[in-house]
Amino acid sequence: MASPRKYYTVTAVVVFVVVSLIIFSLNFKSPEKISFFRRVVLEAVVPLECAVDSVFSSVVGAWERYVLLVGLESKNRELEAEIVSLARDVSDYREISLDCARLRKLMNMKNDFNFPTVAARVVGRNKSSVFKTVLINKGTADGIKAGFPVMGTGGVAGRIMETSRNASKVLLLVDYNSNIDVFIQRNRCQGVLRGCGSSGGELRYVQRSEEVKPGDVVVSSGLAGVFPRGLLIGTVAVVEKGEAGLFQRIMVHPATDIARLEEVLVILRGKEDNG
Amino acid sequence: MIYYLLLPVFSLLLLTIQVTVLDILSFGKTGLEISLILVVYAGFYLSTIRGIALSFVLGFSLDCITGVVPGFFVLSYVLIFLISKGVSLRVYARGMVFTMGFIFVCVLFEKSLIILIYRGLYGINVFYDILNIALLQAVAAGVFAPAFFGLFHRLEGLLNVWEARSPDRL
Repeated sequence: MASPRKYYTVTAVVVFVVVSLIIFSLNFKSPEKISFFRRVVLEAVVPLECAVDSVFSSVVGAWERYVLLVGLESKNRELEAEIVSLARDVSDYREISLDCARLRKLMNMKNDFNFPTVAARVVGRNKSSVFKTVLINKGTADGIKAGFPVMGTGGVAGRIMETSRNASKVLLLVDYNSNIDVFIQRNRCQGVLRGCGSSGGELRYVQRSEEVKPGDVVVSSGLAGVFPRGLLIGTVAVVEKGEAGLFQRIMVHPATDIARLEEVLVILRGKEDNG
Repeated sequence: MIYYLLLPVFSLLLLTIQVTVLDILSFGKTGLEISLILVVYAGFYLSTIRGIALSFVLGFSLDCITGVVPGFFVLSYVLIFLISKGVSLRVYARGMVFTMGFIFVCVLFEKSLIILIYRGLYGINVFYDILNIALLQAVAAGVFAPAFFGLFHRLEGLLNVWEARSPDRL
C-alpha cells in the first residue's frame, strides 16, 4: 500500500504540471494581459540587473578605454574625414527638411515624427538566446505601454512587449515573432519584415517583378499602426530571386546595432494614436 | 521552509547572473544556461517536491525576463526536471561523462521544443536558424556542467547546515 508521503509527492507533481500547462495555454489565449506575478518579477529583476550591469559595464569600459587603444589614431583620422562628409550631408538634409516642412504645412499633413519620447537604459540582454528581447529600466510610470515602438541609435530596435511600473521588456525586430510592415524607400515597394535571429530580418511578400537592390533603405510603412511611417529600419543586404515562386527572398540588415544596444528611445505612441 | 522562502530570491539572482554577467563574458557568442543545469541537478539530487518547485520558479522567472513564447520555460523546465528525475531513479552510476552527455541532450531537447512550438503554433520553421545556437549552447552547457554540479553541491550543503541550525526549523 502506498504511503501518504508518496501520494503527497504525486499530487504536488500533478499540480505543478497542470499549473505549467495552464500558464502556457492562458498566455496564448490572452497574451496582452500581463499577470501580477509577471509584473512583480520584472520589477524585482531590474534593480538587480542595473547593479550587476553597472559594475560590469564600468569594468568592460575601463578595459576598452585604457587597454584597447591600439589603432586609435588612424581610426580618429578616418572618423574626422567622415565627419566632414557627414556635415555636408547634414546641411543638404536640413535644406530638404525645411522644404518638406513647408510643403507639409501647405498640404496640412500631420507630422508622423511629432511624438513625445522617453529615453531608457538597457539593463538586461540575452544576446545568445533564441528569443531576442532586452529589458529596459522604464515602465508604466513613464507612460510606456505594450506595443510602443522602440528606437536604437540607428533606427527601429523593436517594440514594447510587457511593462511593469519601472521596467519593460522589448521584443527586438530580429526576433522570430517580430513582424513589421515596411516599404523600400526608393521604389515604395511594400512588404513585411520578419525577424530572423542574429542574421537580421527577412522582407517577405515582395513580388518577383519588383526591382530591389542590395543597399536599398527599408523604412516603416505606418500601416499596421504600431510604428509611425518613415522610421528607418535597415538596408537590404541580400536579394535572391529563385527559379520559381511568387516572391523574392530579401534579407535586411538592421540599421541599429542590436547586439550593442545600450540606450533606447521609446516613442509614446500606440495603436490608438495612429492617425 | 527556508528553502522555499529563498527560492525566488535565489532564482532571480541566478538568472541575473546568467542574463547579464555570462552574456558579457561570452561576448554574445553562445549562452550558458545555468538555470537548465540547475534543473537537471535538481532532478538528480533534490527531492521531487523541492526540485519541481525550483524548476517551476526558475522557468517562470526566465519567462518573465527573456521569454517571447509565454509559459515556454515553465513547461520545458518542469518537463526536463521530470525526465531527469525519471533517469535518476533508473541510472545509479552518474559519472562526469554521463552528466555532460545528459545535459547536452537536455539542451537539445529544450531547443527541439522551441522548434516544435514555432512550427506548430506560428507556422515558422526555425530549425536551420537555431541549429548552430542549439549545438553551441549544448556543448557549452555539457562542458561546464560538472563544475556547476560541484558548486550546487556546496550550496546545497550550506543550505542544509543552515536549515539544521535554524532554532525553530522554519
